[in-house]
Amino acid sequence: MSDGANDVRLERVRKSFGAVTAVDNVSIDIPRGSIFSLLGPSGCGKTTTLRLIAGFEQPDAGDVYIRGACVTSIRPYRRDFSMVFQSYALFPHLTVAENVGFGLRMRRVPRHERAAAVRNALQLVKLDALGDRYPRQLSGGQQQRVALARAIVVKPAVLLLDEPLGALDKLLREEMQVELRSLQQRLGITAVFVTHDQEEALTLSDRVAVMRNGIIEQIGAPREIYERPRSEFVAGFLGASNFIDGLVVANDGAAIVVDTRAGRVAATAADIAPGTTVRIAVRPERVRVQRSTDGGMPARIRDIVYRGPITHLYMDSAAGPMLSYRQNAGAETWRIGEEIRCVWDAESAIVIVPERA
Amino acid sequence: MKGGWAWALVLPPLGTTLVLFVGPLVYLFWVSLHTASQSELYGHALTIQNYMAILGDAFYLAIIRRTLAVAAVILGISLLIGYPVAYFVALQPARRRMAILLLLLFPLMVSNVVRAYGWVAILGRRGVVNTTLRDLGLIDVPLELLYTTEAVVVGLMTILLPYMVISIANTLASLDPRYQEAAQALGAGPVRTFVHVTLPLSTPGVASGMLLVFLLTLSAYVTIALLGGPRSKLLVSMVYDSVTAFQWPHAAALAFVLLGLALAATAFLLAALRPRRVQGAGR
Repeated sequence: MSDGANDVRLERVRKSFGAVTAVDNVSIDIPRGSIFSLLGPSGCGKTTTLRLIAGFEQPDAGDVYIRGACVTSIRPYRRDFSMVFQSYALFPHLTVAENVGFGLRMRRVPRHERAAAVRNALQLVKLDALGDRYPRQLSGGQQQRVALARAIVVKPAVLLLDEPLGALDKLLREEMQVELRSLQQRLGITAVFVTHDQEEALTLSDRVAVMRNGIIEQIGAPREIYERPRSEFVAGFLGASNFIDGLVVANDGAAIVVDTRAGRVAATAADIAPGTTVRIAVRPERVRVQRSTDGGMPARIRDIVYRGPITHLYMDSAAGPMLSYRQNAGAETWRIGEEIRCVWDAESAIVIVPERA
Repeated sequence: MKGGWAWALVLPPLGTTLVLFVGPLVYLFWVSLHTASQSELYGHALTIQNYMAILGDAFYLAIIRRTLAVAAVILGISLLIGYPVAYFVALQPARRRMAILLLLLFPLMVSNVVRAYGWVAILGRRGVVNTTLRDLGLIDVPLELLYTTEAVVVGLMTILLPYMVISIANTLASLDPRYQEAAQALGAGPVRTFVHVTLPLSTPGVASGMLLVFLLTLSAYVTIALLGGPRSKLLVSMVYDSVTAFQWPHAAALAFVLLGLALAATAFLLAALRPRRVQGAGR
C-alpha cells in the first residue's frame, strides 16, 4: 500500500481511449516536497497521466493515491490538489484577486482571511498591485503567475502543472522556470509537471519520467536520465546522441571495446559478453575532435554551425554521421572537408538497450 | 490601394442599406411628425401630437404595458425551459448536437400562419382541449382558451423557444471545458461550478437568446392577430389598425415607440448581463 512519505502514488494505472492505450501500466511514487516531471513527445500519455491524478479521467485499471489515501473513485473536487493549465483557464469574469480567492471561497474560508491569503499569494508571484485587473488586461506572463497564485493559495497536497510555461516566449520561460523552482522549494509543495521540453524537465525536476506510447521508458533524477539513458528513445529525446553500432570484442570489467565500421572504440562497462552486437550512444558534448592521426574514430567534417558559446561540428564517419559540440574557448578553428579523429572517454559512451522492433 | 478595394467591397451593401433602410426610416420619422390628412400620406403641419396621443393615452399605455408584460413572460419562460435544454444539448457529442439543433429548427419550417391555426384547432371552443375535457365530463361550458393573452404567450413561445435554446447551446458548447475543470480543481462541486463559472460564462448566449426572443416578440404579428383576438392586442396590432384606418402619421409614431422600446430593452439587457466581460478574455 501507500507509504506516508509519498504525496502521489500511481499503482499500475491503465487508461484507454477507444483502441488507443494512452497510459499503460504506469506506476509512480512522488515523495513529499519534490518536483516530478512527466516528459515526452505529444501523445505519449503524460497529460492523461496528470489528468488521472486530478480525477478528470478515470483509470480502466490500477489505483491513484494522494497523501496515502486511495482516491481512484473520488471526484476531482474532493481530491486534495490544484492545477495550473496550459491555457491558464483564468475565469474571465472574475478579477485577478477573485480568481486567486476562488479556491478559498469554495473551501468556505471567511472573507477577511481570504483577502489576506490572496494578498500573500499575489505577493509571492509579484503581482500584488494587479488584484483589481481582469485577466484579459494582463500579459501572458502575468496571467501565468495569476494561475500559479490561484493554485498555491489553497495549499494543496499536490500541485499539478500541465505545460504551464508552454505559451511563454523563451526568455520568460527560463525566468519562470527558476522562479517556479524557488517558489516550490520555499513552500515545500509536491508538484507534478508535464512538459515536452527536455531542458525544462532537467532544470525543474527532482525526478523525471520519460514517457512514450503510454509507457514510462525511464524514471530517475535528471542527471541519471541524461547521463545513463537506458533506451535509444531516451538518449535521443533528451538532448542529442551519436548512435554507433558494433560488436563487443573485449570486456575487462572496467570498459568494453566495440568493433565498429569505423574501427575500434571504447565504451563504458556493461554486463555484456564479447560477441554481442550492441548500439552505443555518445553525447555530442563528449565528443572531442583531434587533428592527430593516431587513435579515435576517423571522420570528415561535413558542416560547421557557429552558435556563439558552442560550435556544432557535423561529421561523417564510416559508422554513420557524428555530431560534436565544441566549447568556444577561443582557439579552435575547423574547416569543412577536414579529416579528423573523434575521441571520447570510455565512460562517455553508453551501451543502450537495443530498440524493440 | 488596399483601403480603396475595401471601400469598393463595402459600398454596394452600404448603399443598399442607406437607400432601402436608413432612408425610409428617416422618412418614416418625418411622417410621424405630421398631422394626418384625408387625401395625402400626411398633412402639412408639423406636430408631436402623434407621440403625445400615444404616450399620454391610458389605452396605449395599457397596450405598451401588456406588450412588455407578454415579452417578459415569454422571456422568463423560454429562459427557464430553454437553458436546461440547451445545457443538455451542449453536453452531446458534436454530431448528435447538430442533429438535435436541426430537430429544434424543424418547427420553424412550418409557416407561422399554419402554426397559429394549429393552435386554434387545439385551443378553440370546439378544439381538442375543450372537446376532450367535455367528453371526460370535467366541464359543461367550453373554456375560453383562445383569444386570450395566454394563448398568445403559448403561441409565441413555441416559435421563439428554439432561438433561445440554440443561442445558449452554441455558447455552452464552445465553452472551454478547462474552465469547469479549473473550478473543480479548486474544490467546486457540480452545482457551484455551474453557478460560479458555467452560468456567468454563458451570458453571451443568454443575452443574444433573450434579445432575439424579445425583439421577435415585439415584431410578431400573425400569431398575435390569430390567437389574441380583439382583447389581447399588442403594440404591433395597433400599427396595423392605424394603417388600415389610413392614420399614417399615427402608425409611424407607433412604429417609433416600438423601436424605442426595442432599443431600450436591448440596452437594459446588455447592461444587466454585460456579455462582453467574458468575451475576448484571458486564454
